[in-house]
Amino acid sequence: MAIEKNYYTIDPEGKIRCFKCKVPLIKGKAKFMYLDNGFPVELPVCPVCGYVYVPEELALGKVASVERALEDK
Amino acid sequence: MGTIKERGSTHVYKVNKISKEEMESMVARCVYEEPPFCSAACPLKLDVLAFLEAAAAGSFKKALQLYEKIAPFPLILSAGCEAPCEAKCRLSEIGEGVLISEVERAVSRFGEQSKLGGVFRSKKRKSTAVLGSGLFALMLAGELEKKAYPIKVFCEQDSCESYLRACAPFLDEESFAVELKRLRGKDIQFEFNCRMDAAFYDDIKGSFDVLCASDELRRSLFPEAEPNQELMFCEEQGLVSGRTEGVLGAAFGAKKAALTVDRLAQGLDPRNTRGQEGSVESRLYTDLSEAAALKRVPCPEEGYSREQAMEEAGRCISCHCEECLKSCAYLKHYKKHPGLLAREIYNNTQIIMGDHQLNKPMNACSLCGQCTAVCPNDFDMARVCLLARKNMVSTDKMPLAPHEFALMDMFFSNIDAFLSRPQPGFEKCKYVFFPGCQAAAIAPETVKAAYRDLTERLEGGVALILGCCGAIASWAGRDEMADQTHEQLDRELARLGDPIVIAGCPSCAKELRENGAKDVRGIWDVLLELGLPEGAHALERPAALHDSCGARGDEKTQAAIRELASRLGCELVDTPYSGDRSPCCGYGGLTAYANREVAGEMTEKCLERSDAPYISYCMACRDRFARQGRESRHILELCYGTDAGSPPDISEKRKNRLALKNELLQEIWLEDAMEDKLDYKLLFTDEARELMDDRMILVEDVIAVMEDFRESGEAIEDDDGLLVARRRVGNATFWVKFSLEDGGYLIRRAWSHRMKVVKREG
Ligand code: SF4
Ligand code: SF4
Ligand SMILES: [Zn+2]
Repeated sequence: MAIEKNYYTIDPEGKIRCFKCKVPLIKGKAKFMYLDNGFPVELPVCPVCGYVYVPEELALGKVASVERALEDK
Repeated sequence: MGTIKERGSTHVYKVNKISKEEMESMVARCVYEEPPFCSAACPLKLDVLAFLEAAAAGSFKKALQLYEKIAPFPLILSAGCEAPCEAKCRLSEIGEGVLISEVERAVSRFGEQSKLGGVFRSKKRKSTAVLGSGLFALMLAGELEKKAYPIKVFCEQDSCESYLRACAPFLDEESFAVELKRLRGKDIQFEFNCRMDAAFYDDIKGSFDVLCASDELRRSLFPEAEPNQELMFCEEQGLVSGRTEGVLGAAFGAKKAALTVDRLAQGLDPRNTRGQEGSVESRLYTDLSEAAALKRVPCPEEGYSREQAMEEAGRCISCHCEECLKSCAYLKHYKKHPGLLAREIYNNTQIIMGDHQLNKPMNACSLCGQCTAVCPNDFDMARVCLLARKNMVSTDKMPLAPHEFALMDMFFSNIDAFLSRPQPGFEKCKYVFFPGCQAAAIAPETVKAAYRDLTERLEGGVALILGCCGAIASWAGRDEMADQTHEQLDRELARLGDPIVIAGCPSCAKELRENGAKDVRGIWDVLLELGLPEGAHALERPAALHDSCGARGDEKTQAAIRELASRLGCELVDTPYSGDRSPCCGYGGLTAYANREVAGEMTEKCLERSDAPYISYCMACRDRFARQGRESRHILELCYGTDAGSPPDISEKRKNRLALKNELLQEIWLEDAMEDKLDYKLLFTDEARELMDDRMILVEDVIAVMEDFRESGEAIEDDDGLLVARRRVGNATFWVKFSLEDGGYLIRRAWSHRMKVVKREG
């Protein structure tokens, strides 16, 4: 999977921290999955425990509109 | 409570819940696309509406362009047309119909001719000739010129002037001059002074691809020929010709003949692919209730002036049927007449792969049946949309998202908040009160009061069932879930001794009746029999009564509610669209869940009928009107002197149902209810509660997240210093933003998404 397109990238720029591991989240690879479709994205991820964060704007914006589109496939 | 399985996306099979034939016959009921009566009567198919509209606006040039489409020589046609359109004008049923013929004359006289384009147009290859004179020949030449055939006219006359005079001897001098100019301007070649006998005919006949002749000439050349009048064609002679009568007859004959020429020029059988010709009967419906019975603008001998023609044309009411579009906010929203929308929604169900673009409209109809009540032909959009939903469900193509919240809410009503008990002291009961899930959610105190009252005043025991009737699953098109619900209720009814059901909601009553409950009455009927309970009171101000769509077609219920209101002493104001024609509040058919925008427009539509407070007899209506800021009361609130107050949000609706069950268990059945108490403090900001209501996130969802956080300690610290935790519940992931408070949490924001998110390696 060399030429995998990222649908969305968020760089936490060190401003978000993992509450459990007490370390800043970093830009990491994640995947959205819905109704048998998968999308590679880059989201804030905890480098220690792997917690992936989906910020509010992303959930209500891009994620919601992709959901609606897939539901009508 | 479990979860509902998401739909698959790999299934590729077809189901037809509604047959193509039924669909077609349904679509054909919609008369929106039928022509107005005047145009239908015109064999030349003048677009009378557009014509009169242009004339009324004073755009005589535009009006003339429209008229020239049917009349190559407008002054000739308008001077002698018998105007069958006028006789069919609907205004003649209540007063005097529009004097279309005189408007046509005025337009022909005053309308500025558009530039003569004929000379520069590229011509067709095949050549045509028209032999002889007369109205038919002249108009045919005009039609063929319009179709850009190279055309030559052969006649006995010696000039255009004498030719035109012979064709239309009835024209006055002024009109004659105009039409002569028009004829000269057309791209028609003339050969004058022809002998017009058999020898001449034989001479020229080989030089043209298609030959046409006047009626008179054909009779002298081929007295035995029998023209096919439909085609204006003598097949044996290969000659385009036929008999005509009158000016309109000649014009119509010329139209048919020109089409025959077209077919012949293309080497086709002139009988085929001609489309619908001539006048037709229109099935259009026009609402004349608001039309004024007016007289014509008197027409002077010399015809209308510009101003008079404009005024007369302006009397046209533009006949068209939009009864349903006027009354239904949903159809209005999609700006489509139901015939078209129904076909598109049907086609949507037939898509196996690809986008289902009509899912949204399919799920936005409230299945309320108002369109059927107002449509002159009983168009049933609800059936189309419901069957389409069922179709999508059974092919596993129905997205869960639009209806999941409502379906989960139904499970909540029928599992967590479900209650079924005989009246204390009875094993079997004569009655069972079934208030409906919305009453329990919105007005629990009213339900309590009603139940107590019924047990006190009815003999034979009154059981209670708190739950959902299954309408939610039925509306979602999920038959299996609906059946399960009906079976659950059947079992309970059997256990309670098959009691008579006293429904608190007309939609429940309908759903229960349609699914096997033997005797279902409305509580309104029972109260009329028993008399009003103590504490019943009227609304102080005059109020509008909103009929529930669950009671559509149920005259008895509608009348009972009015009787109840009058016994209460309520003064009711008249509203348009009441009774069977009542619009839906936006809750029906799950519109409120699937399409909040349309649901909001439906509520507005209900409220625009009156400024008065609203009395309704369905709790969902009561709730939606109150949410819109209108003073709104359920009739049972008035009967029991209760006030459900300001509308609850989605979490309160659940809490109310649970609390009602627990309180009744304690107070009436003396059972200890199980109550989950949190051992930590959970507070919400107002903003959080509003967001949650808007985003359909329940307090339970938030609790689920917080429980998880308390156990795992997993969360992130956002750049605003607040904590965010998450949990996957059912088919959605919920995120909660909060701060740590003394001994608990203050919830500040919440959001969710349905997509799953996972970490990706590499
Ligand atoms: S009112 Fe207008 S549209 Fe209706 S029949 Fe008369 S002329 Fe035609
Ligand atoms: S919302 Fe009601 S009136 Fe409108 S199309 Fe649907 S069933 Fe008909
Ligand atoms: Zn971590």
